[in-house]
Amino acid sequence: MSVMAPARARGFRGWMRGKNLAPYLFVLPNMLIFGVFTIWPAFNGFNLSFYDSSNGRTYRPVGTGNYTNILSDSQFWGVVQHTVLFTLGFVVLSTVLGTALALMLNSQRRGRGALSAAYFLPVLISPVVVGIIWKAALDRTTGLVNQVLSAIGLGSPGWLVDSSLSLISVILVGTWIHLGFYAVILISGLQAIDTSLYEAARMDGASVWQSVRLITLPLLRPTLMVVIILATIAGFQAFDFVYTLTGGGPVGATTLIIQYIYENAFSYPIQYGLASAAAVILFVVVFAVTFINYAIGRRSESI
Amino acid sequence: MRLRTKIAALCAVVLATSLSACAPGSPQSDAGPSAPASVDFNSFKGQTLTYVYFTDGPDEQATKDMIAKFEAATGAKVNLQIVAFANLATSLQARLSAGNAPEVARVTDWHPYADKEVDFKQYFGSGFPSEFASGAAATAMDSTGRMLAVPSDVTINGPMINVDAFKKAGVPVPAKWTWDELVADAKKVAAANNMPYAFAIDKSGNRLSTILSQFGTVMIGPDGKNALDKDKAAKALTFFTDLVKSNVSPKDFWLGSGSKYTGANEIFLAGQVPVYLSGPWQVGAFAKSATFNWAAAPNPCQERCGGFPGGKFMIAFKDSKNPALAAAFVQWMNRSENQREVDKTAYWLPTRKDLTDSGVTYANRQSDMSSFLSQINETPSDTWTDANSPAFTASATALISETDKVVAGQQDVRTAVENISAAIDKAIKAAGS
Repeated sequence: MSVMAPARARGFRGWMRGKNLAPYLFVLPNMLIFGVFTIWPAFNGFNLSFYDSSNGRTYRPVGTGNYTNILSDSQFWGVVQHTVLFTLGFVVLSTVLGTALALMLNSQRRGRGALSAAYFLPVLISPVVVGIIWKAALDRTTGLVNQVLSAIGLGSPGWLVDSSLSLISVILVGTWIHLGFYAVILISGLQAIDTSLYEAARMDGASVWQSVRLITLPLLRPTLMVVIILATIAGFQAFDFVYTLTGGGPVGATTLIIQYIYENAFSYPIQYGLASAAAVILFVVVFAVTFINYAIGRRSESI
Repeated sequence: MRLRTKIAALCAVVLATSLSACAPGSPQSDAGPSAPASVDFNSFKGQTLTYVYFTDGPDEQATKDMIAKFEAATGAKVNLQIVAFANLATSLQARLSAGNAPEVARVTDWHPYADKEVDFKQYFGSGFPSEFASGAAATAMDSTGRMLAVPSDVTINGPMINVDAFKKAGVPVPAKWTWDELVADAKKVAAANNMPYAFAIDKSGNRLSTILSQFGTVMIGPDGKNALDKDKAAKALTFFTDLVKSNVSPKDFWLGSGSKYTGANEIFLAGQVPVYLSGPWQVGAFAKSATFNWAAAPNPCQERCGGFPGGKFMIAFKDSKNPALAAAFVQWMNRSENQREVDKTAYWLPTRKDLTDSGVTYANRQSDMSSFLSQINETPSDTWTDANSPAFTASATALISETDKVVAGQQDVRTAVENISAAIDKAIKAAGS
């Protein structure tokens, strides 16, 4: 025994040293919280998608019935169409305008901080409040936007009640919320670009546009990929400001996938299983789109 | 694929598979007395109950005052938890599934919690339901005769009018009118007062059911089966959607609120419409906020008269920590003198038989409350069974969404009626009725 004990103790300490556990112990509390409040509920949601329940207490196994019902539901495909259109519009606008804004702010010599803060402000406002504010501003008869438009003879469009305009309004409001955040990320990307490259280009007689096209955009590509991935995820997950802005109307024209999940889970008739199945489908789609984005980005970088 | 990635993927699959094999939820319990239980009001001293409540406004203080009296009378403590109506069902279901049931809750639909509710007849005898008006009592009973809720106030839909605007237009309010007469008068009043709309109604399946009933049909019949008369429903929806499409009733309001319930009370209070169809729960708030003279008016008659009923219930949970105290509290709050006291200040219509017979004297707005009360007798009996059906809420949701599509020009009324009828069948099947 007296021979074995030190050997065992040395072995454990050695194993500890070999494995270098310290980093794992540092992340353990966070991983525990993440596991309990994110991973475990996510797996539970996956489990629920194979059951039918209208009250969250009694469950009836239905196999893949919820998935079959969703995929054969015309309302779901309408929601998918709105979500894809919203996400595409939101990602393109956020990326293009975010880049333009970042370029403008980055070239600003005075007041850059104050301007950045001003554009960042919408990020700090609760999305629910943003929806309420824009609902008032875009009201057909009393809204500020239409009062200005009608004063200059452009009529009073039904921004939130006309099916052909409501999704555009939602995309614009969504972009307004996130624009400052993406611009801040892109500014940090711009500031990481070596300024000597621009000096060399200038000496070679490159125009501003050529510098942007041939230096800025290629070197900004990793940051742009981050913005595109974040915007894609935010686009697929948009709900709160849409719910207070249009409630998903008119006639479902702005109902996006998260609202579809929410209403199936929490509005009558309650269908927890169906809502969970829709959430699983959303996860798979977002994961796939993000992975494709990432893969394309990596491939472009290596080229 | 790296080894680490393979291990992570394997763990995820194992976890997902093992979870899939586990049935979620908790086993059904059947707590609570199976034989009549006695309630000793002197035994509750020092005990606590939780009351989950939503408020329409003036009822909050009236309820708090009555709770204070209950606490003084019994020595028990009531923990009043006020939640937003929109979150009520979710909150209650979450608490029930987590094994954290409150003792008592105020709800508009008791059916979703039926398996967890106290049968008040077990505590207060088989004669307890007869203390309440027959229509109200019927809405609280399940198909096996259990009394799973106590109707604490009854509502009946009906119009309210801007009296000042009617006077200015020189249009008298008749004691009886048809829908055509109501709309014609409302248009005259709106024109004389430069109001943008003539008629407003809450975006609600319950409120739209009022028009269905007045045109002669309900969605679910007394036998629990689909009772929608498609021709009558088509007439009702054609009449209503024409009003909205022509902006006689605000089209932007109807289309702009999405799938959510929305009250048109702000349009009425802003003086933009002379006639507003809602219910007596608005009386207290209007008494406080309206800047013009207003009054409750009779419901229009078409094929039938009367309004459409609704109401609030108090339910007690048998899985709560103290179901006997819960049952006692509900019974105490709905004793004759206590219900009268709350009704007076909260502008509620009574549910007790003795109070509906004798009437309630309100702090003010007596004639408006009496006007709503008088509508109860004119309301057809099949509307009570319709409103009380476990399939009503889902059917009413379909009624609204299909009407939306007609207003937006996406489908015709006939298609909408067919879709509503199919949705009623589905809701009845899902409710097991």
